[in-house]
Amino acid sequence: MDFSFTEEQQMLRDSVSRFLDKTYDFKARQTLVASEKPWSEQVWQQFAELGLLALPFSEETGGLGGSIADVVAIAESFGEHLLVEPYMSSILLAGRALALSDHDVAQDWLAKIIAGEAIAAFAHEEARGTAAPEFVTLGAQQSGGNYFLDGEKRLVLNGAEADILVVSARLSGVAGEKSGLALMMVDPKTDGIEITSFQTIDGRSAAHIQFDKVQVSAEQLLLDDAYSVLVAVISDIMIALSAEAVGIMGALLGATSEYTATRKQFDVPISSFQVIAHRLADMKIAYTKARASLYYTTAIAEAGQSTARDIAILKGQVGKLGRAIGEDAIQSHGGVGMTDELIISHYHKRLIAIDAMFGDSEYHFRKIGQAHD
Amino acid sequence: MNIDFNSELIAFRAEISAFLDEAPTDAIREAGRKVTSVFADFDQATAWQAILNAKGWAAPDWPEQYGGTGWSVEQRYIFAEEYRKRDLPPLLPNGIKMVGPLLIDLGTEDQKAKYLPGILSGEDYWTQGYSEPNAGSDLASLKCRARADGDDYIINGSKIWTTLAHRSNRMFMLVRTSDAGKKQQGITFLLLDRTDYPGMDIRPIKGLDGFPEQCEVFFDNVRVPQSGRVGAENDGWTVAKHLLTHERGGSAQSPTLKRYIEHIRDAARDAASPFGGNMIDDPVFQRDIGELEADIASMEHFEKLAISGHEIANDPAFPSMNKTMNSELIQRISVMMTQISGLEGLSLELDALRIGANVKPLGTYLDLVSMPFYLNSRATTIYAGTNEVQRDLIARTVSHG
Ligand SMILES: Cc1cc2nc3c(=O)[nH]c(=O)nc-3n(C[C@H](O)[C@H](O)[C@H](O)COP(=O)(O)OP(=O)(O)OC[C@H]3O[C@@H](n4cnc5c(N)ncnc54)[C@H](O)[C@@H]3O)c2cc1C
Repeated sequence: MDFSFTEEQQMLRDSVSRFLDKTYDFKARQTLVASEKPWSEQVWQQFAELGLLALPFSEETGGLGGSIADVVAIAESFGEHLLVEPYMSSILLAGRALALSDHDVAQDWLAKIIAGEAIAAFAHEEARGTAAPEFVTLGAQQSGGNYFLDGEKRLVLNGAEADILVVSARLSGVAGEKSGLALMMVDPKTDGIEITSFQTIDGRSAAHIQFDKVQVSAEQLLLDDAYSVLVAVISDIMIALSAEAVGIMGALLGATSEYTATRKQFDVPISSFQVIAHRLADMKIAYTKARASLYYTTAIAEAGQSTARDIAILKGQVGKLGRAIGEDAIQSHGGVGMTDELIISHYHKRLIAIDAMFGDSEYHFRKIGQAHD
Repeated sequence: MNIDFNSELIAFRAEISAFLDEAPTDAIREAGRKVTSVFADFDQATAWQAILNAKGWAAPDWPEQYGGTGWSVEQRYIFAEEYRKRDLPPLLPNGIKMVGPLLIDLGTEDQKAKYLPGILSGEDYWTQGYSEPNAGSDLASLKCRARADGDDYIINGSKIWTTLAHRSNRMFMLVRTSDAGKKQQGITFLLLDRTDYPGMDIRPIKGLDGFPEQCEVFFDNVRVPQSGRVGAENDGWTVAKHLLTHERGGSAQSPTLKRYIEHIRDAARDAASPFGGNMIDDPVFQRDIGELEADIASMEHFEKLAISGHEIANDPAFPSMNKTMNSELIQRISVMMTQISGLEGLSLELDALRIGANVKPLGTYLDLVSMPFYLNSRATTIYAGTNEVQRDLIARTVSHG
């Protein structure tokens, strides 16, 4: 088995990395986050030109036919640069969901998304998080030829800027049932939708979206019996988020090893204290474990061999190990690790956010413990 | 020590409760609910201290002759419990818990008369000027220099991480007055009457939670009177070490820790478990919070023994053990809070966290504070001497030879 990137993937990875080194250094990123703009239009347009927005979609749907391994190849660099572009929301979540339907309107939206002309958002998680899709409760009541949506989606990434929302909803049954779920395409300007937007701790634009008897036509039903599609989309995003996290973990290890080698207390570099040296060793072990699980899981996912348990292992490990590396990095930096000025704290916040999305490590570990396959 | 079944104490508890129910303003209560650091909102903590001081209750741990309450240890524990139960903001620690006790122990009569009233009333906020860019854990290597000149010192150099210096009007600080001998020997402890002396420049530093809490302070030929010195010239290290035992030990923390657990439990009653039902019935949550509660209980037992005068408190490692245990419990609590909040902890709500902001939080109060509290609490194992340094100190009390 070969778990390495192909030559093409390596080239893609390098070119994205070089591009972001030039356009998305920490200072530029911080200026962007502090501005009114939720992401960089210029970078997004260049992503479109570079083909990155088309990468994960099949050729029939206007994409480049890239695999999850191609996404992983670039996502590590997204993590390292703390990218706030809507790649996860518009491309990997909502875009993927649209691409899995042969609906005409969906295909039109997808073309615009790939061209960088439209943004889509994925309105799925509810309350404090919906780790398991079967717990979606937002109701879609059928009446005449229409559906009426009632409920609330929380922390919809780029929900306030989206031109189109892909919404998971329950057509029938109750929370906990895998049947009866649907995906809907909803215009965010529809009557009855109330959007509250805010920034997240990791510099992204997100929104809580309230649906109050929102009427959608039968045409807007993207998929019924959507459970398996939801699982497929979410599995892939968990791999992509894990790749981002692994990119961050590597960067944190590098920054901390550099800082502790140069910071002197008691006339010696603090890395010469055993407690710091051993912590660096633990960080390296954690990074290596997460990286190994990332590449292994990516390869089996690409081969269509991954199980829910494999994905849970990756996401659970990345959540736990990422938090540990972030906390260790701050502690090793001392007071300066607590500031907004260093990238360290921003890396940590992104790792914490990644852990919280689509089920935290506690959830995934329990899932693993429950699984009998 | 038994604080539960004694009629006098029951009456005492009722008296405390009646006052704490009625005295704080709405803004003070709001500040209490929005605490995300050991430092509560500056204005409301100060306002609350003035109210407590008027009642004579600002410093229950101080000796009565200096303005303490004269309460027994049991009464003080009850006060702390009732205080925490109402989520009232903690008083800013620098005066009542640090420089005040220090002056009571080591200050001259003049210094006590001059400074203790302002410390007690909260009119003065004393910022702590110890750390420097190159003197953190190795504090004794500090370089900010004070040169004697007539009755004054002239200070040059800089300090960093000086908490709330931008809101302070006074500072206690360590300066270098000699390079002779060991580095600990040339340090002097100074009280500064002002923090706006000509030549002083204070620049806030934004923290990872988005708030400017710490500062950098620059001194360019700042002239201060020598009468502000505590202890002898070049003997400041002894003074600072004495103060550290107040900073690291001091009053009971377990009522605060237990209160957080109650908040987590309350939130868990409403928070859905990803496995169905609510978190409060989730066996994994129950195990996790159970372990945390057991550890907090041990801390409480340790504190109760200590305040009742048990020999456990005579251990030379006591302040370091206390600091290590408390800081790590706070961090674990803050992690659990963010786990309960889940996605709701990810929104950045700096405006809603301001007192009197009139901005509705996006979720519950716990969701509003959990993430900034978690982020801010990363500092508990760094400030007041990092936990690595504390463990070295503890280790010294157990190793032989
Ligand atoms: C929120 C906050 C508030 C603060 N408030 C104040 C204040 O009001 N006034 C003030 O004067 N200071 C304050 N400080 C400063 C604080 O005391 C220092 O940050 C602390 O002493 C550590 O110093 P440093 O930041 O320089 O880290 P460093 O000393 O550089 O330490 C970096 C890392 O190296 C480790 N390390 C260092 N030496 C050793 C050793 N010998 N053995 C093993 N490990 C070691 C540390 O444990 C840490 O993990 C505050 C700090 C913070 C974070």
